[in-house]
Amino acid sequence: MHYAILGNGVAGMEAALALRRRDAKARISLISDEHDFFYSRPALMYVFCGQLDLRGTEPYERSSYDRMRLERVRARVGALDAGRRTLAFDDGRPLAYDRLLLAAGSRAREGSWPGTKGPGVHAFVTLRDMEALDRDARPGRRAVVIGGGLIGVEVAEVLLRRGVSVTFVIRESWYFPLALDAQESQVVAEHMRAHGCDVRLGVNVTEIARDGDGRVRSVRLEDGGEVPCDVVVVAIGVVPNTGFLAASGLRLSSGGAIEVDDALRTSAPDVWAAGDCANVTWADGSRRPEQLWYTARDQGRVAARSMSGEDVTYRRGTWYNSAKFFDLEWTTVGHVPALLNWDNTPLDPGPAYRSVFERVPDRPVTWRIVLEGDRVAGFNMLGGRWNHEVLRAWVEEERTLDWVRAHLDEARFDEELGGPVRAGR
Amino acid sequence: MQAGLLDTYRKPTLTRGALAWALSAVLSAFYLVLYFTEALTPVARATGLGDKWTLYGFLYTVAMVAGGVYFLRRHGNSRYERIRTIVVVAVQVVLAFALPIVMKVFGAREYYFSYFWPLKIEYLYPSVILSHPFLIVAWSFVGSLVAFPVLAWFLGKRFYCSWVCGCGGLANTAGEPFRHLSDKSEAAWKVEKVSVYLVLAIAVAATVVVWANWAVGSRHPAFASFAFAVQKWYGFAIGAMFAGVLGVGLYPLMGTRVWCRFGCPMAAMLGIIQRFGRFRITVKKDMCIACGNCSTYCEMGIDVRSYAMANQDVRRAACVGCGMCAHLCPRGVLKLENRPVRLKAGQPIRVYAAGP
Repeated sequence: MHYAILGNGVAGMEAALALRRRDAKARISLISDEHDFFYSRPALMYVFCGQLDLRGTEPYERSSYDRMRLERVRARVGALDAGRRTLAFDDGRPLAYDRLLLAAGSRAREGSWPGTKGPGVHAFVTLRDMEALDRDARPGRRAVVIGGGLIGVEVAEVLLRRGVSVTFVIRESWYFPLALDAQESQVVAEHMRAHGCDVRLGVNVTEIARDGDGRVRSVRLEDGGEVPCDVVVVAIGVVPNTGFLAASGLRLSSGGAIEVDDALRTSAPDVWAAGDCANVTWADGSRRPEQLWYTARDQGRVAARSMSGEDVTYRRGTWYNSAKFFDLEWTTVGHVPALLNWDNTPLDPGPAYRSVFERVPDRPVTWRIVLEGDRVAGFNMLGGRWNHEVLRAWVEEERTLDWVRAHLDEARFDEELGGPVRAGR
Repeated sequence: MQAGLLDTYRKPTLTRGALAWALSAVLSAFYLVLYFTEALTPVARATGLGDKWTLYGFLYTVAMVAGGVYFLRRHGNSRYERIRTIVVVAVQVVLAFALPIVMKVFGAREYYFSYFWPLKIEYLYPSVILSHPFLIVAWSFVGSLVAFPVLAWFLGKRFYCSWVCGCGGLANTAGEPFRHLSDKSEAAWKVEKVSVYLVLAIAVAATVVVWANWAVGSRHPAFASFAFAVQKWYGFAIGAMFAGVLGVGLYPLMGTRVWCRFGCPMAAMLGIIQRFGRFRITVKKDMCIACGNCSTYCEMGIDVRSYAMANQDVRRAACVGCGMCAHLCPRGVLKLENRPVRLKAGQPIRVYAAGP
């Protein structure tokens, strides 16, 4: 049995490890054109600012790949012939497989503004993106970061730390409305501004202006404003890395993600997909890719079980996620509805929605408990550390607000001696 | 990110560049001169510090105070790190520097109240015990053999290695910029497991030999000279070469805890107790993003990330509880704890599925 895994990110690597645990003899090939070893993509920001070296972001010792007999292929795949069970690399070489996992991940979404193409405009998703930005973002330069999501805030932070001035241009009228409400966003924006980040909310970019030599000169905004800069980082989301599948006959979504069933099987026999490039069913019934570290990891594991013949169903359990906005840690659990559309019109969370918001006076520490009827449905915790497992149990046990408030300290996960921080009641 | 760690991997002194080797050579040379020559004695006299050991204590304390200030600027945003650093520097200034000088001024024999057997092996040698007042001897015995094991069981070895000990104190203050240089490979762990317990065994054996000699040495001159050789050899090989010359000399190349990790018999003894005691680093389930900050900045070379990725609490004899992994984790996955793991009566046991 030859398992080929395209992509050695977290989905591909988790699948490879799970396959190896189930089958000591199978041949397993891990294909990547990015790096020879699995590294942690969320750690790219730390490599960029020199807090970690790339080797430090590789969770498994390099020697262990041989020990686990994971064959590594450093190549870019040009095409898939699912009928002949063959991958064709860009250089023409073929690779025959028995079962294939597509875990190709995603790449940065490109802007469509005039001036986007060319030097000085960057993304921050892959190792190559990071290396290119590293060469361009020298201390003393001025950068504009476009996009109000998680990658944008990470890039803004590391650029600032490096001595690059940053203007953070966000289309929505508050930062990260997918996950934060207006009050939480206000706290984050204040925090970013306190770190010297020039946050511009509710503005659209119209053009990336270049000088006569083609160098980036400024970013022009819809409101008539213009931000002079030397470097632009576009962080407006990611798109599935599936261009090579155009002629494969595999069923893709309109956004280019690979359609999979509940067992992560694609429309072609013996081909599975997992991670950022797979189009899966969400709890609300919609079909989208889950572009998240945690789901990519879980999908990789499920795909491996499915590939080795087990009857499995991929289901994301109660939602949780975490991130860090500069120094502010954020944990979300359960149902925390978005309250703002991408076009800045309010989103109706439904008649049963209610939420309780508290802020520690004078500190960037907040918590929001989301209720559906009289039951707690979700948590949005900012500026402190919380054990999502405990919060998740409360959501699943459908606890009442009074009960949760009385027990909230049990869910704290702050550093020792950090001491509990209480909000005024 | 932690502002103070910016560009750690871009500085040649911090990435085993030529300057790091030069610094390592200078530090090693300093310890060789200190231990095996009297070159520092005139300096000590000229500065009014009397002897070279007082001069060394002075330099050591200055390095720790300055390093402590440096550390607090870097990591003082963590309350655990702040309190721990203030305590370990205060212990050095008061117990390991000022008090011994005061004792000498008042004509008593100096005694370092923050050091204990088997780290300071001679503190349970008969020669030291018989020449000190009863209360100091009691402090020494009760500390080494009763209080320390009990404290290590309840709090982990960190109560000593990161909060009191001068070796750990220097590592976590002046040595702070080098902490990421510890070797995280499995091979290093294998070496550590042999070497640190070997040194503990040697320390115990040496102490037994010295006591046996005190009891019967006068009747067995051959054994007496053997015991004398053991004592001298231990002082040279372990006390001077391993703890001093290599321990500090290798800071810029192998990180700050080379002695604590591979050699210290106290760390070995407390580590065994810690392994079965209450202290652990609790891992928040399924939240690790594998970034590697914890493992990179673990001065004891523990691959903390591998535990976090496997949803396994870290219970390792080596961990000195410096707290840096928890402090640097960008997803708040780790928490140092010594609360008992106990289930409340009547509470259902929650079993959380570890992913699908």
